[in-house]
Amino acid sequence: MIVVAFVVLVAMLAAYVLLDGYDLGAGAVHLFVARNDAERVAVMESIGPYWNGNEVWLIAAGGALFALFPQVYASSFSGFYLPFMVLLWLLMFRGIAFELRGQFPSDLWRSFFDVTFAVASTLLILVLGVALGNIVRGVPLDAGHYFLGTFTFLLNPYALGVGLLAVAALAQHGAAWVAARVDGAPAARARSALKILWPAVLVLIAIVTIVTFAVHSPSANLRAMPAIALAPLCSAAGLAGVAVFSLQRRPRRAFEASTLFLAGLLASSAATVYPYLLPGYPAPQTGLSIFSAPAPPFALATILPVAIGGLIFVAAYRTFVGLRLNAGRVKPR
Amino acid sequence: MENAVLADRIQFAFTVLFHYLFPIGTMGLAPFIAWFTFVAARTGSPLYERAARFWGRIFAVNFAIGVVTGIPMEFQFGTNWAAFSARTGAVIGQPLAMEGIFAFFLESIFLGVFLYGRRFVSARLYVASAVLVWVGSWLSGFLVISVNAWMQHPVGYLMAPDGQVTLTSLAALLLSDYAWGQFIHAITGAVLTGSFLVAGVGAYYVLARRQSAYGALFLGLGVPAACVFSVLTIFPTGDLNGSAITKYQPAKLAAAEGLFTTEQGAPLAIIGMPDEQNQTLIDPIVVPGVLSFLAYGNLHANVKGIAAYPVGDRPPVAVTYYAYHIMVGLGTIFVALSALATLLLVTKRLERSRWLLWLLMLVMPFPYIANEAGWVTAEVGRQPWMVYGLIRTAESASPNVAAGETVFTLLGFAGMYFLLGVLFILIVLREIASGPEHEPAAITAAAAS
Repeated sequence: MIVVAFVVLVAMLAAYVLLDGYDLGAGAVHLFVARNDAERVAVMESIGPYWNGNEVWLIAAGGALFALFPQVYASSFSGFYLPFMVLLWLLMFRGIAFELRGQFPSDLWRSFFDVTFAVASTLLILVLGVALGNIVRGVPLDAGHYFLGTFTFLLNPYALGVGLLAVAALAQHGAAWVAARVDGAPAARARSALKILWPAVLVLIAIVTIVTFAVHSPSANLRAMPAIALAPLCSAAGLAGVAVFSLQRRPRRAFEASTLFLAGLLASSAATVYPYLLPGYPAPQTGLSIFSAPAPPFALATILPVAIGGLIFVAAYRTFVGLRLNAGRVKPR
Repeated sequence: MENAVLADRIQFAFTVLFHYLFPIGTMGLAPFIAWFTFVAARTGSPLYERAARFWGRIFAVNFAIGVVTGIPMEFQFGTNWAAFSARTGAVIGQPLAMEGIFAFFLESIFLGVFLYGRRFVSARLYVASAVLVWVGSWLSGFLVISVNAWMQHPVGYLMAPDGQVTLTSLAALLLSDYAWGQFIHAITGAVLTGSFLVAGVGAYYVLARRQSAYGALFLGLGVPAACVFSVLTIFPTGDLNGSAITKYQPAKLAAAEGLFTTEQGAPLAIIGMPDEQNQTLIDPIVVPGVLSFLAYGNLHANVKGIAAYPVGDRPPVAVTYYAYHIMVGLGTIFVALSALATLLLVTKRLERSRWLLWLLMLVMPFPYIANEAGWVTAEVGRQPWMVYGLIRTAESASPNVAAGETVFTLLGFAGMYFLLGVLFILIVLREIASGPEHEPAAITAAAAS
């Protein structure tokens, strides 16, 4: 049951990254792919109906972490205090930019919010990526399971590397979205952006993968359960697919390949840290694992079926609505 | 440590009071939007159609700011109240997780359909999306309030010797009479606010002699709704909360009523200044026996005063007392104002009574104050407990977050929320000034094309 709880949590976080990932990524490449007002409106329109719902996955995953692993929730949120506050403010800036951009017909007003939207999106990805890097690397938990995340500790080379990989990978995801969902010049520029982003992702992922074996080696988990090797294989296939389908000018397929790539990447990260949710540093064993810090069995038995049933229901109507709203590519007017 | 707890409390109070302004708007306006959409679909009336889209645009601004200010609320449980969260996450995490899964997705996904999807979806799905946004906003309100109700009156739990609290029955938490009492009171308070907003904007259009068809429509719907929900907020929902507090939190009752000494036939203080130092109410105007009657249905019943509780278990009297009296005083004014306006509406004299239209327009901010004052009463009156009778606020804060850090982030929130508040008012006033006839040409999304 505890393993199921872990899987549910990882799946919700992955859903957040895959879904909010394309609108964050579209934000990261926004200034580059869309150069005039009509094009920028088109890029924003393409994510308009979805971004708020996508962001709900972060809130829902936070709630699930709270319910399923309360001590991990308490330790990580208080330990990452300042970075999480920065994260909140960036989320606000991004939301404001989205809602306010079109409110006044002034070029200065609009370009201010275009830059805000792009910068906040990019920094958000970086902060989330650095957080993920630190979770894989481990944090210095004390005997009471608390830690103080200082900037000198959190901004270590490994975590920064993961942060850069996250920016490149989600920018690629966003560019693939724009290529698939927007017409005209933004799509063409998104295709050229992919030509730069793809090699960047390839180089960064090679470096991060090699260093990961030194920082928090997945070898033990791999030996215990060889099936998890499927995750990095999916990831590699996805990344190859992004290149192939982009060259073949099949943007929807390329976007799907990028989704597969990210899903494989996140599954690999989860398989690496398992069974820890917040490994200790320098020794992972001093950290919080799913076995050392779950909610009591009765609580898990109550909330897990409710959560899983609810998520299936959400996925069903989200798909239904997505099909109804899916009216093709947005044209810059 | 004491400073840190104080800083955490101020930050939570500030961010939650600001945040709650926007859910009041969404929970209060959602039924009106659903009604306008439904009538528009049934009759094909362009008036109702535009009214639905007009309030939908105002709803969307409320929703967006509600979301961005709501995420910090969920985060703060972990960032600032880690000790409390680690102990009770297995209880209160459950409704919070359900809120994300059941309510937020419903609200955000179908709001996307409502705002952007009119061109793509059938009329039936369009109406359904307006109704589902309404359901989502109320469901979200209920699940959050069920958490608060559990903190006010914990049920269905078990506390281990190490202080860990576990839920033994999710149903007990969700079906708690305390939760339902709080929820229906908060909901009638929100719909009351929404009604006064609809009526107030209608009054503005009539006074300004523009958009007059909408002025009449909004007054005709908003004024009677304001009357009905003002009454419902006091009786039975407010009264139910009063009985629950009398039963479960008598110290809060004493603080809210400014009753320092235990009395047979306790008086109801209408006006007066509580003096906590000398434990008296300065310059009071009281009605003898009424507090005993309201609390226990008997003019001579014994009501315990603040002095009857140990010093360490007393809530702050002044804040609780003033907040409660502001809520009740405003609630009474709302009943009088909306009843008079309804009378004039029924006799078709409202549109000529400009003084009353002025009052209806100017009263718009006050339901917000009443809602917030109600929450201040509930939360400050619960002190010194985080979970009533179980966990003290002083032992709930994050041990690893210093007061200075919280003060720093509090200043950050203050600046951010000032900006949000100014922009919100600017946008909503502009929307009202443009009126329902004006459909924005190019917002960021494709609504208009």
